[in-house]
Amino acid sequence: MSDQSPTPHPSPPGPLHGIHVLECGHMVGAAYAAKLMADLGAEVIKIEEPGGDDARRRGPYPGNIFHPEKSGLFLYMNTNKLGVSLDLQHAKGQELFRRLAQDADLVVHNYPPAQMPARGLDYEELHKLNPRLVITSISPFGQTGPNRDYHAHDLTMWSAGGIVYLSGPSGREDLPPLKAFGQQAGMQAGVNAAVGSLGALFGRFKSGQGQHIDVSIQECLVAIMENNYISWPYDGTLASRLGFRLVPQDVLACRDGYIYVLAIEDHQWNGAVELMGNPEWASMDLFQDFPSRSGNWDVLKPLLEDYLQDKSVQETYHAAQARRVPFAPVSTMGDLLDSSHLSARGFFATIGHPEAGSLRYAGAPYKFSASPWALRSPAPCLGQHNVEIFGGRLGLGQAELDELRTTGVM
Amino acid sequence: MENQLPLAGIRVADFTWVWAGPFATMQLAHLGAEVIRIETENRVCVTRRIPPYADGEPGLNRSGYYNQYNQGKSSLSLNLKKPEGIEIAKKLVAASDIVSENFAGGVINKMGLGYEVLKQLKSDIIMISMAGYGATGPESAYVSYGPAQVPMSGLSSVTGFPGFPPMHVGFSYGDPNGGLHGAFAVLAALMHRARTGEGQYIDLSQWETSVALLGEALMAQEMNGEAPPRIGNHDEYMAPHGLFRCQGEDRWVSIVVASEDEWQRLCQGIGQPGLATDARFATVAERKKNEDALEALIGSWTGVRTDAEVTQTLQAAGVAAFPALTNKELTEDKHLDERGFFVEHEHPEVGARRHAGVPWVFSETLCQVRKPAPCLGQDTDDILQDILGYSADEVATLRANEVLT
Repeated sequence: MSDQSPTPHPSPPGPLHGIHVLECGHMVGAAYAAKLMADLGAEVIKIEEPGGDDARRRGPYPGNIFHPEKSGLFLYMNTNKLGVSLDLQHAKGQELFRRLAQDADLVVHNYPPAQMPARGLDYEELHKLNPRLVITSISPFGQTGPNRDYHAHDLTMWSAGGIVYLSGPSGREDLPPLKAFGQQAGMQAGVNAAVGSLGALFGRFKSGQGQHIDVSIQECLVAIMENNYISWPYDGTLASRLGFRLVPQDVLACRDGYIYVLAIEDHQWNGAVELMGNPEWASMDLFQDFPSRSGNWDVLKPLLEDYLQDKSVQETYHAAQARRVPFAPVSTMGDLLDSSHLSARGFFATIGHPEAGSLRYAGAPYKFSASPWALRSPAPCLGQHNVEIFGGRLGLGQAELDELRTTGVM
Repeated sequence: MENQLPLAGIRVADFTWVWAGPFATMQLAHLGAEVIRIETENRVCVTRRIPPYADGEPGLNRSGYYNQYNQGKSSLSLNLKKPEGIEIAKKLVAASDIVSENFAGGVINKMGLGYEVLKQLKSDIIMISMAGYGATGPESAYVSYGPAQVPMSGLSSVTGFPGFPPMHVGFSYGDPNGGLHGAFAVLAALMHRARTGEGQYIDLSQWETSVALLGEALMAQEMNGEAPPRIGNHDEYMAPHGLFRCQGEDRWVSIVVASEDEWQRLCQGIGQPGLATDARFATVAERKKNEDALEALIGSWTGVRTDAEVTQTLQAAGVAAFPALTNKELTEDKHLDERGFFVEHEHPEVGARRHAGVPWVFSETLCQVRKPAPCLGQDTDDILQDILGYSADEVATLRANEVLT
C-alpha cells in the first residue's frame, strides 16, 4: 500500500540523499530540523503519537475550519517526510522505535528531557543498538542544569533567551515587551539542531561513531541577540526596547502600506534627502550628523511621515534603492506571494495534498547548483506510511499489523 | 582532541563580513573547521566599528559585536584591490574546502572571484553566496542590511500590538537566521561532496531564509486570502498567553497556559482556587473572550511579586512561566553558567569577557570555542608562510607593496 505521491518536479537527488532520519516530538523544533534535511533529500520518518503532532491542532485551516490534515503549520513543517503513528508509551511501540533506530543515521526529537530516558529511548540505550547513531535532543533549557525540567512554550523561551526584552514600541513604558510572530524560538532551535546534527554526521565519516547532541533553546537565542547580549560584559549597557536607537530605522506609513526607512549613515541619509527632493528642513543643524538625527528623532519622524503619506511603497522603495539607500517594503504575506523578485527566483513551490489540495509553499531558501532543494511530496497524513514502514521495512506480517492497530500501538 | 572534531581538516576561505556571513562561518569554527577571515584595513568590517567597545574605549579589536561573532577564527589582512591580493586570495581558495561571501549579488564576480573562476582553481570547492536578495533576480543588486530583512520578510506585518503599525522585532534577526541556514547548507554540501566527490555553488538569499520562518502566515494567505492579524503577545489557541508586569522597574514575566489542566494548576498556584470554577474562564474559548479581565486578575497577582517569585511559584505548579531576562541577568545566569555556556578566553586587547558560547553540547567530540576572535590581520604572516608557502622575505615585500593592508 505504499503511497507513491506524484513527483511534480523531477530533479537530481538532494545533497542529503541516503541519510535516514527519525523525527519525533511536537510543534516546530524537531520538525523544522527534519524538514530542512528532508527538503535536501534525506529520508525522514516522522513518528507521531496517538492524536498526532500538536501542530495539527493549530491553524491556519482552509475556511478556518479545524481539520487535523489541513493545518497550514503542519503542512509547511512536514514536507517531504514519511509519516507513521506509534504509541511510544507502549512497550511494543518502544520496541518498534528501537528497530527503526537500528537502521537510522539520526534521531531528532524535542521531547522534554525526562521523557526519552523514561521510555528507554535515550542515547545510552539506542547507542548500544546502533553505535553509529546520532541523537539530537532539543529542549527548552537543555538536558542539564537547574532549570532543565521547567515548563516552556515559545513565548516563555523568547523571554528566557533575552530577546523579548529588546522588542516593543519605543518610548512606551506602559506596554510590555513584544513577542515576534509565530514559533520563532522553535524555529531557531530547529535550524541549530540541523547544523549540529549534520556536523556530527559529517564527523562520523572519520570517527565511525555516533553521539548525542544536547540543544538548548535558551542558548540558541542568547547566541543571536546581535550586540545586545555582549554589551553588558563589554561596556555595561543594559539593552532594552526603551533604550537609545540610531535612526532613521523605522516602519513608516505610505499611502498604500508601510515602508521601512533605513538611512543611518551619512551617505544613506544624503541619498534619502535627495530622494525627497532636497527639502529645506533637511539642511537644519538638527539633522547634520547621525548622532543629532538620532537625538532629534521626535522632530525628524513627523517630517518623514509627512513626506511619505501620499507616496507609494513600491515606488519609494525602488527610487531609494536606485540611490543605494537601503529602504525596504514592509511586506504583507500577499506582497510576498506577488513579488516579481521571489517569483523570478522560483522561491514558491506548489504541491497537492490529498486532503488540503494544491497550495503554494515557501520553498528553497538556497539554491544548490549540483544537488537541488526539491518539494517531492507533501506532509504525510497521520499514519500514512505505517504499512510501508512497519510492514515493508520492518517485515511485520498482516496479523501483527492488525494487532498493532487493535491495541492502539499504531 | 582537536583532530577529532567533526570538521577538523576543513578549511574555510571566509570573505564574508558584517553579521550574517560571519555568523555562518562561526558555526563551522565551532564544529572544528579552520576559518580564515579575509579582512582589510581599508574597509574594516562594520562590526569592528560598532559598540559595545570594551570599557567604552573604541578600537578595531575592542568591539564586542565583532568579538562575539568571530570566535574561533583567524584573520588575514589582504588588499583585494591589488592584483597581488587577488592572486593570494586565489591561492588560499585552492588550499580550501569552502569559500563563503555575502556581498550584494554579483559583486564577487566583478572582483574576479566568482564560482566559475574558483572551481578552475579547485574542482571540488564548495562556495556559498549569502546576499540579502540572493545572487539572481531583478532586485539582486539592491542594498540590503539585516534589520531590513525583518520587515521585508513579512515578519513585521504580522508582529505588533493591535491598533499599532507593524513592528520590528528589536534586533537584526535576518542576519543570524540567514547565517545558520547558510552553515546548514554548507554542511549539506560537504555531505554531498563526501558521497560523490563533487563540489558546488550555493546561492542563499537572506530574504528567503527569513520568509522560511513564516510558513504558517503564508499558508493563511494562500488558504484564505488573509494574513494573521497582529495580536501582540496573545495566541489564538492559548490563554493566558502574555507578559505581565512584576515588582521593580520594567520587570516582566511571561506566562502561558496551553490546556485546561494547566489552567486549573495556575489557579491553585496563585492561591485562587475560586477562579478555577469561574465560568468566565472555564474553557480556552471563554478565557479568550474575557482575556482583558483574565489579564487584569493575573497582573494584579504578578504586580506585587518579583519575576523570580512568580516563575518559581508557577513552575512548581506545572505552568510555563519565565522572566523576560535582560542581558545583565543572562551574564549572571546560574543555569547557563552551570551548563558551561559562557566562553571567557583571554583576548590580547580586551582581556577575558563573558561571551555567549555554543548552544549545542556534543557528547563525544565536544565542540567548543577554541580561541577568541582575532585581532585584525593577526594571522597574516602565519597563513602566507605556513599554508601558502611564501617566504618571510616575500611577505615583507608584499607588505611593503601594501598588498597586506
